[in-house]
Amino acid sequence: MSAFVVIDHIDQVFPLANGGAYIALKNISLEIKKGEFVTLLGHSGCGKSTLLNIIAGLARPTAGGILLEGRQVTEPGPDRMVVFQNYSLLPWLTVRQNIALAVDEVMSHLPASERSEIVEHHIDMVKLRPAAEKRPGQLSGGMKQRVSIARALSIKPKVLLLDEPFGALDALTRSGLQDQLMQIAQQNQLTCIMVTHDVDEALLLSDRIVMLTNGPESYIGQIIDVPFARPRERLKVVNHPNYYALRSEISYFLNQQKKAKQRKTQVVAIARNGLEKVNLELGFMPLTDCASLVVAHEMGMFKKYGLEEVTLSREPSWKAISEGVVSKRLDAAQMVAGMPLGLTVGMGGRAPIPVVTSLVLSRNGNAITFSKRLFEAGVRNLADFKAMLTAEAGAQPRTLASVHPASMHNLIMRYWLASGGIDPDHDVNLTVIPPPQMVATLKAGNIDGFCVGEPWNAHAVSEGLGFVIANDLELWAGHPEKVLGMREDWANQYPETHLALVKALMEAAEYCDDRRNRGEIAELLAKPNYVGAKLDYIRAGFLDPYDRGDGRPPETLLRFNQFHIDMTNCPNRGEALWILTQLARWGIAPFPKNWVDVLDRVRRMDVYGAAARALEMPDTAPNRGSFALFDGTVFNPDDPLGYLDSLAIKQEIQIQEIDLDGAVSKTAVAA
Amino acid sequence: MATNISTARNPYATSFGTKVLNSLKNLLPTAVATLILLTIWQLLCSLPGATLPGPIQVVEETWPLIIDPFYRGDGTDQGLFWQLAASLQRVAVGYSLAAVAGVALGVLVGVSTLMFRALDPIFQVLRTVPPLAWLPISLAALKDSQPAAIFVIFITAIWPIIINTGVGVQNIPQDYNNVAKVLKLSKMKYFTKVLIPSTVPYIFTGLRIAIGLSWLAIVAAEMLTGGVGIGFFIWDAYNSGIVSEVILAIIYVGLVGLLLDKIICFIADRVVPAD
Repeated sequence: MSAFVVIDHIDQVFPLANGGAYIALKNISLEIKKGEFVTLLGHSGCGKSTLLNIIAGLARPTAGGILLEGRQVTEPGPDRMVVFQNYSLLPWLTVRQNIALAVDEVMSHLPASERSEIVEHHIDMVKLRPAAEKRPGQLSGGMKQRVSIARALSIKPKVLLLDEPFGALDALTRSGLQDQLMQIAQQNQLTCIMVTHDVDEALLLSDRIVMLTNGPESYIGQIIDVPFARPRERLKVVNHPNYYALRSEISYFLNQQKKAKQRKTQVVAIARNGLEKVNLELGFMPLTDCASLVVAHEMGMFKKYGLEEVTLSREPSWKAISEGVVSKRLDAAQMVAGMPLGLTVGMGGRAPIPVVTSLVLSRNGNAITFSKRLFEAGVRNLADFKAMLTAEAGAQPRTLASVHPASMHNLIMRYWLASGGIDPDHDVNLTVIPPPQMVATLKAGNIDGFCVGEPWNAHAVSEGLGFVIANDLELWAGHPEKVLGMREDWANQYPETHLALVKALMEAAEYCDDRRNRGEIAELLAKPNYVGAKLDYIRAGFLDPYDRGDGRPPETLLRFNQFHIDMTNCPNRGEALWILTQLARWGIAPFPKNWVDVLDRVRRMDVYGAAARALEMPDTAPNRGSFALFDGTVFNPDDPLGYLDSLAIKQEIQIQEIDLDGAVSKTAVAA
Repeated sequence: MATNISTARNPYATSFGTKVLNSLKNLLPTAVATLILLTIWQLLCSLPGATLPGPIQVVEETWPLIIDPFYRGDGTDQGLFWQLAASLQRVAVGYSLAAVAGVALGVLVGVSTLMFRALDPIFQVLRTVPPLAWLPISLAALKDSQPAAIFVIFITAIWPIIINTGVGVQNIPQDYNNVAKVLKLSKMKYFTKVLIPSTVPYIFTGLRIAIGLSWLAIVAAEMLTGGVGIGFFIWDAYNSGIVSEVILAIIYVGLVGLLLDKIICFIADRVVPAD
């Protein structure tokens, strides 16, 4: 069904007196169907009323827009009538005159007798006949709100906007009016958007509840579908078996947000260049996709943003990187995409250590390479491999390697195997090997294949040791691959340094995606202190056509290494949630019950946005919504648990509430 | 006193009786204070070498004026009623013009931010100019004392009306404006149903200040322009050395000023919408 109201990537920024800006809303997108009742829920100050005013046309968004039946909303109009929180009746007009003012203006094409009929009908609808000649000053709050509702309905708006309509009323009046509104909305098939902070009210009235996170930079944290059949009755709704589950889910969300609100950042002394720290030790792995770090270092982007003494530390393994950052040996590091999330939720049974990422360094760039021996045995695709495993049942299982449990290599290869009916934990043997050792291990025959980033696939292919059975453009084009990771306490301690680092790396990333620069970058990467591999291996896929080693001619893959274009750098939360589900699916980490909060803290969209704006780059984020990988299984970010339930091959899922602040204090004691 | 007490104790006292009693009670302190002031004035003026007449002397000397306010003579020799009427007439013309122009300009600066930015600084400067400073200019421009005096009234009265109306328009509750915007009320309807009703209390505050200022200005202006009018009457009496007449005129001026203020209040109570 096509959308009736489209809220399209709304940003709302208010200028501050000190010259700064307050970002109230960030990247809000929502589609509302005709006849739907949608509630915006959140703590006060989360921007829900601002959003309603934007829909009404009373405020203009800084970016994005509203479509009503395909037409852009540019100004207020009676097709989007508002029921205001404080009634907004004109005190010098009687009840009848207030309603007539609206009807006469909006329906001026009708004859006077018809208009007065409409007025009288709506006076009766809200049962205000005895008060028709009274002025608002003589009415109670509940009566005033009834007049306001009657006035709104009398002009037959396409969308009814309600701004905390019952907030100021006593409980008894409120429930009476809720029932009345529900009835009227149902009878007239009204499309309603209501702002409230009352959970029960939201559940009773709405078809969908859209929950906003706290400002600044509020976004849609979660959307809940309310399944109760219509017409509804208060008692039946309350006694519905799902009612308390939904209610507690919403309350849980609100409580998480309340906790987040109470956190505060400390102020730190400035060292130099307006930064708290100018000497940084950054970890990286010898891989083609460390390019933006190398470029930022070699081409002066770090210095440009005041980071005078950056040391790039070439690390032996991803494990070393994760330990380096946790132990504070490294200030920050290139990390596999799942590492900050894995560390934050307590991967592998360890205590949670909040680690944040505010920048995705690269997307794509991986491939699954199988050994030449399998190629010779006739394996060309996943189905062949499955057949082989079935034939070999009972024998020593085949061994495949990836680079880290929380890496996309591991998660995507497991996902790929499972999509072909292969249980990665039973049908094959999975092991972890650092990238630079992959080729040697394959050569020694200890493994039958691996999933790794370049140049190590190209190396294996060119030596005739293996062939690329799948690359990630085929599996999930544009998936997040490497991210910038650092401890949350580091990020809080050095906010300006953090921002400078992100700015430098974003500018470097932009440089990396200009293909004119790639020849020069490949030469830099080939140096022994960076990747230390043959130039040809690095150029494969990065610049030169990509040879899969299966006899097909090499193909040019323009997006094989993606550093900047198409919102590469945006640490958006939907894909991070997918990673969380996969970590839980394979028993690598528990699934956090407070995932909205975990994502909010790990994926620092605010720092990314601030850096992008400072560089005058768009700070847009991808659409918040469902997506699917190559096999077409839809991932809905509003229902991660339902998604996990739907997967056939998985381990037992653990769901835990992750106490991020407790974790901080514990590690602090340990240190 | 004895009668008062007996009324209070009368169990059959009508509500009218109670009202009279209450207003008497309220008036009593005023009456006592007036009496004391008059006594002090009388005592001070009885001292040897006193330059001003005491109240008794004032009444004695001005008795003909008091009992015959409607006296008509030649030229400026007119009864006090006619003097006051002439002044009031000028005020009425100047003030009415100021009210119309002031409300219009006030609405203009209230509605349009551009107009506010353009005009408000000018208003702020001009409103500090004392009324009499306008007189030479208006005499030079209008060549006649009658329109010049009216112009002074106009220019004195207009500023508080403009400023209060402007503030009133700017302070129309956002809620009402939002309703008007959402309903897309026509300009005319917005003006009559929203803008004016919600601005009226402010307009009347401006009008009330303005009437006081006009009355202040007319006395001063007439002293300089001459002709029939209470201002020139005072000046003339002073020049003739009849201080008692000056004092009597001042008392009349005060009473008329109070009356004008009360009239505006009375109208405001009728017009301003109740919340």
